[in-house]
Parts: sequence; C-alpha cells; structure tokens
Amino acid sequence: MNAPIVRALGWRSGWGPGLGALPEDARRAAAGRPVVSLGRPALDEERFRRATRDCLWAVAAVGAMLEDAGARREAIAGARTALIYVTAAAYGPSNRAFIERPGAVYFPYTAPAAAPAEVAIEYGLTGPLTIFIGGGVSTLRAIWHAAGLLAGATCDRVLVLAVEIFDECADLYARVRSGEDPLVEAAGCAWLERGTGTLALEEGVATAGRDDVRRRVGETFSCEPLAALGLRRSVVAGAGPIAVSARWGGEEVTLIWGGPTSGVGAGMREGSE
Amino acid sequence: MTAVPGREPTVVVAAGVCTAVAQDVDSFWSALVTGADGISPIERFPVSDLRVGRGGEIKTLTRIDDWTGIPDCRATRLLVSAADDLCGQVGGRPLPVDPRRVAVVVGTALGGVEEGERALSGDRSGKRLRGALYDAPARNLARWLGVRGPVLTVATACAAGGTAIGVGADLLRHGQADAVIAGGYDILCRFVMRGFDVLRALTRDRVRPFDRRRSGLLLGEGAALVMLRRRAEAGPRVLGHVLGYATISDGSHVSAPHPEGRGLEHAIHVALGEAGIGPDRIDFVSAHGTATALNDPIESGVLMRVLGARASAVPVNSIKPVIGHTMGAAATLEAIMCLLASRHGLIPPTLNLDDPDPTFGIDCVRGAPRVARPRISLSTCLGFGGCNGALVLEGAPP
Repeated sequence: MNAPIVRALGWRSGWGPGLGALPEDARRAAAGRPVVSLGRPALDEERFRRATRDCLWAVAAVGAMLEDAGARREAIAGARTALIYVTAAAYGPSNRAFIERPGAVYFPYTAPAAAPAEVAIEYGLTGPLTIFIGGGVSTLRAIWHAAGLLAGATCDRVLVLAVEIFDECADLYARVRSGEDPLVEAAGCAWLERGTGTLALEEGVATAGRDDVRRRVGETFSCEPLAALGLRRSVVAGAGPIAVSARWGGEEVTLIWGGPTSGVGAGMREGSE
Repeated sequence: MTAVPGREPTVVVAAGVCTAVAQDVDSFWSALVTGADGISPIERFPVSDLRVGRGGEIKTLTRIDDWTGIPDCRATRLLVSAADDLCGQVGGRPLPVDPRRVAVVVGTALGGVEEGERALSGDRSGKRLRGALYDAPARNLARWLGVRGPVLTVATACAAGGTAIGVGADLLRHGQADAVIAGGYDILCRFVMRGFDVLRALTRDRVRPFDRRRSGLLLGEGAALVMLRRRAEAGPRVLGHVLGYATISDGSHVSAPHPEGRGLEHAIHVALGEAGIGPDRIDFVSAHGTATALNDPIESGVLMRVLGARASAVPVNSIKPVIGHTMGAAATLEAIMCLLASRHGLIPPTLNLDDPDPTFGIDCVRGAPRVARPRISLSTCLGFGGCNGALVLEGAPP
C-alpha cells in the first residue's frame, strides 16, 4: 500500500490549542484531575444550537487542520474529500443525557454519525464517509483505510478525524478505570493525500514509542495516534520509517510509514500548532 | 462476473440471520416469500408511555440452548445467534481459517447502548458499563467465534450494515484478512424507541413503503452476518459476490437525507463504478423503503434518475414491513435477501403495499413474489448523519 502524506494536522485538547500546549508529563500536569476538559469551542451558537460537544469539537478540529494547512475551507469542499470519523466514546455524554434527562438532547445527536454530519454540513463534504468505533487501533485502521481510498482514486484527500469527550461521564469512568493517566478530552484531524512511500500495518505489535506519547498527552483513546503523528513532525522530514502504535480492546497494531520518501510531515508546518 | 480490472469481486460464502420472523437463512427466505409479519406489541420493556409500542421484536432466541460464557447483552446474543446460523453452513466452529486471519466487521446504529441504560438505572457493575461502548458487541462476537484478526465496528447509522460489508471487502482486498465475518445488528430498547417516538417517525398503522397511505416506519431488531472470502479461497459453493459499495456523506442535515437524494445518487454511481457496470445492468433494487414521508419520494426519485427509462421495468421491493427497520442490521439483511432472490428465482413482495403511490414511477413488487432471477442487484440504505449507502451484488447461479 502507498503511504499517504499528512498534509496538515489539527489538534485541540484539554491542555490547550495545538500540540505545543502538551505538558511533558500529563499525570503531573493533571494534578489529580481525572478529566482534563476541553470546554466548548467558540462556534456560532445559533447555527450549532442543538449540537453536542463532540460535534462542536469535530468541527473545530477540522478548522484547526485548515489553519495548519494554511488552506481555506473551499480546498476540502465537495465530493473528492473523504471523511473517516473515529471515536471510542464521544457519543457517551449525549447517550447518557438522553437516558437520564428526556428532552436534554435532540435524539439524532445521540448517534456517533452526528459529529461527522456536522463537519460535512459545515465544510461542504459530499464524498465517501466511514465511521469507526474504537480507540487508537481504530484510528490506525482508519488511516490504512484512507490509504486504500487514495490508492483506488476514490477521492483526492481523506480527513481522518478523531474526537473524545469525557467530562459529562467522569463519574462513570471513575467506576471502571484503574489507570493513573488522566482522561484528556481531545479532537484531532489529519489531512491525508496520496504519497509515494510505503505503508504497512502490523497486527499484534505495539511498541513504537507509544508510552512517550501517552506520557505527554494522557489518555485520549482514538486521538492518541494523531497526537503521535503530530509530535513526530519534526523528526520525519525525509526520514523513515516512522511507526505509530496503538492498543485497544485486546488488539495491538502498528502502522509503519516507510520507503525512500516517507511522506509523514510533508506539508506540515513546523511549530505551527 | 463483473468488476473493474484489477478489482476482483469479493465472494459471499455463507450468511446467518436473526430476526423477528426467522433465526436461520432458509426460514428467513420462507418468511419473506410467504408474507410473514414480524411486527408485534413490544413485550421486553415498558412502552406504555410511548405513542407507538410495536415493532419487529424477537420474542425468544431459539438457536442457542446454553448461553454460559456469553455476556448477558442482547446485542451480543443477537450477533451470536446469527453467527451460529452462519457457522452451521461452513462446518461449524472453529471456522476453517487461521483465526489470526479472520476479521470481524460489524455495523450498528446503537452498539451496546442498552447496557448503558442498565448501568445508569442501578446495575453498577463495571462490566455493564464497559458493555455500553458501541464496539463491545463486535468484540464479544469475535471472542465467541474464537478469531483474533482485526475487529471493526462501523457506525454509519442505519447504513452501517452495508458499510460493514464494504469495509470487510476492503480488508480482503488489502490483505488484512483471509476471511471476514461482516454484517450488522441492532436491538429494540427503550433508548431507541423513545428516540423515534420523539421524532414522530413511527406509524400507528402498518408499514407501507411506496404506498399512497404510507405513514411512517416501525423499528425492528436483528443481526445479520455474511462470510466474505477472496475468490481463490472461496470454494465451489457460494451465495454470490459483492461487486461494489459506497457510503457517501450528503452534507445536508443531521437527521434527514438531502432533499433530492443527491448523496444516495452519488453513492449508487460510486458503487456501480467500483463494480465496473452501468445502471443498465441492474436487474433488481432492494430499496431502503422505510415508508416515511421523506424517504420514499426521495428514494424513488433517485431510482428514476439512475435507472432512466428502465425505472418502470426494474423490480423494486422493501422488506421492512416484514421485520421492521432493523437499523444496523437492515442493509445486511437486505443484501442477503438479494442473493437469495438470485438463488431461488423469486423476488419477495413488499408487504402492505396495497395502493402504490402513482407519483413514484417505479415497479414495486407487491402482493405475491415475482418470478424473476435477478443477476445484478442494487441495495440502498440511508442513515442519520447524512449517511447514504449502496451495495452492488451479484447472485450465484443455483
């Protein structure tokens, strides 16, 4: 499979805008907080009056990606842009609200499909759409799937978008989590285009520097691989291979960008975040 | 067999179903052609406060006698029931493929949401809460099957059962698996019944797709799975082929399709393009056919544009009146129906379609099964979030 290049990457997290806001040690920076919240982005309140936070951050992450690319929204509008949305649990708060407080959420916003729908409406995306549910492993499979779409010329670019929202369910996570890493709300979006390097996906392997990323970011479920891509931008220009790993639900996966012209980071502006 | 050069069609080796009218493929087919009605008053949870309390509820799961070791999660149990049916057609468990090379790809609109309802209403076990994640039932299915390949949950709402088949075919094409168990599921629960009740999308009448008196949908529950293989590994006895698929965003509205169905039309053209055929090759259309005020005119308009002059001659049906709208399972059940139609040389009728809306201009099969052996079928599906799906399927000769 040909490796896609990452033309741009937008990142927002509870630590602040961009990967530059990440602490060196998420546990220490969280100072005992179980959830590091993103709050609400500043988006048109009337236009998004029914939208839930996961939808808002999905839209904001794509906006951050456009900023990173230095591109206008017209650059991604239309049928030649595919969107792959990934989340492990961003639908949790809306599901909970609908169960506990009838009328608190408009029912269609309980669906994971609501977030990519708002993105598609906002940016005029009318191309292929896929939604994967799961953690970082699903994000790596989404990138692999994106590479297939690009290789098959089904589209010219793929946006791999991941969002995780935790705050409204913090008490529920406290019941089931034993890890010390804080849950960090995050939204990331990678703009992928056709590249010339090689891409390999290895099952049952998850060793590629994952702990370093986790140490800085905290627990972000599906967003972690996008943070890993972004953090490696400074070391990938012309270098390779680059590997990103994830574990989720008993699966371990590593995605490896290789070949003479690794595309990871090509087009990504150093330090722009 | 047809496909664009270099794109070998994916083979559907076997199928399994679990619905309100049948819990095996043969009975499912019999129910469709004999006009069985799976709609009944919902008994498993309270509905007295809702406007509509009927649906395609499965009263008893009959295939599995001993549920020991299988999570007490209805979504999982529907999937396992369908998988048991499927496994029976390929020699049982374990599947005859290296378990590390078998992937599971399932679509859903609701995942394990009922587990969340239970966790929030007093059952404080961590297991229940973890089961509320939408990918939990797929992992439970993989565990039951004993497979260790990729496990993916696809959540393109009510189009998810079609997307899952397409994603499964892609896994085979890109060498990520040697066999894929793909399909979809969803259950009836308070959460979804309340949701559709709020939207006033449910009918108090029968479900009447493409009928002048159509007044809405009824939900159903179910699971449906197919086993996908590459041609060289499929063996001689197959159900058919997946020639093309697409799931397209219409960027129009969070809960309604594009008013002219542009997303669905685009999806059909992309799927036909992947199949390497034109619309003139379509012999039969399994419509999404929900019988809502919005869906049916939009969908028939799309079919009129895609099929052109042949629109009045290509048979169209909807099986949702029989089993309800089974959400994540719907597109897979409808895909299986298409392949069975090719095998049996019959197209099941659209139940309750008594007075076709004359404005639609499509040839809806109604009353009795139609004697026809469609080779190429188009199956359409739509979901919340502007998800528009299309599958192009080719039935195997009997």
